[in-house]
Amino acid sequence: MSPTSGPAQALGDALAAEYAAIWAYGVIGVHLTEAARSAARAAEAAHRSRRDALILQLSSGGGQVPADRAGYALPYPVTDRASALKLAVEIEERTAGHWRAALPHTTGADRNKALAALTDCALRATRWRRTAGVTPITVPFPGRQT
Amino acid sequence: MLLRAGALLALGGAAVPLTGCDLFDRDDESRPPDPLEPLAAEATALEARHRAAATAVPALAERLTAIADAHRAHAEELRKAIGRPAPSGTPAAVPSVAPADPDTVRTELRQAEQEGRDNAAKACAAAPAERAALLGSIAAARATHMEALK
Repeated sequence: MSPTSGPAQALGDALAAEYAAIWAYGVIGVHLTEAARSAARAAEAAHRSRRDALILQLSSGGGQVPADRAGYALPYPVTDRASALKLAVEIEERTAGHWRAALPHTTGADRNKALAALTDCALRATRWRRTAGVTPITVPFPGRQT
Repeated sequence: MLLRAGALLALGGAAVPLTGCDLFDRDDESRPPDPLEPLAAEATALEARHRAAATAVPALAERLTAIADAHRAHAEELRKAIGRPAPSGTPAAVPSVAPADPDTVRTELRQAEQEGRDNAAKACAAAPAERAALLGSIAAARATHMEALK
């Protein structure tokens, strides 16, 4: 999305994406039932732990830690299962994109962490496509803007 | 860590068939092999495996063809990053296409994707900044292929 100028900026962008994902899953979860609702809860928990790790990492680096926003605008009304699953796929691909963007700005253990986060987002996007009945359930370049 | 990854990549490179290399090709002489060569060869081999499996197990054809297309796209992007065409005369060995048990096929392909994911992740860890995003997407894609083959 926004051009990044360094590791702190790139990880700050990833943190902003994690905040948005956590918020989105609150909206998504209420329109899902049973296994899909459990999956949404697990996804939200995974994003929370990435958020917490990022806050720790950015604050221990002595840099600025971006704060969460009070609210977000949905790209379209989320009113039922179909629109909730659509948003879940999009939020995971979007978050994957921010982690992907962090890769060139990181090295060593930090890059491996960014790759693990990118991979987890891509996997969840794939599972949500399967739940939604979207085919193909994979994309060739997870996180890359198309 | 970096050294280890480098050593593994070098091993992968040794596994690429050398047939068809021109011994006296000046270009090859002056430029050492790109560390992405093994990954590009692997992408091409994975494409061939999935296409062969799609023929052997028609019930899985749609899923496997989508994955094969992704591997082809990966190979193309890797070739672009390398800046050289694939070594000539080394088409990936096409595995047998005899009708096969779908579960066995999926298990074998999952295993191949797992190895591929690990190789791409190691390459991503060792790569210069300008190649990190591409390699990260390839590693993540291979992980999603494992999921799609479940």
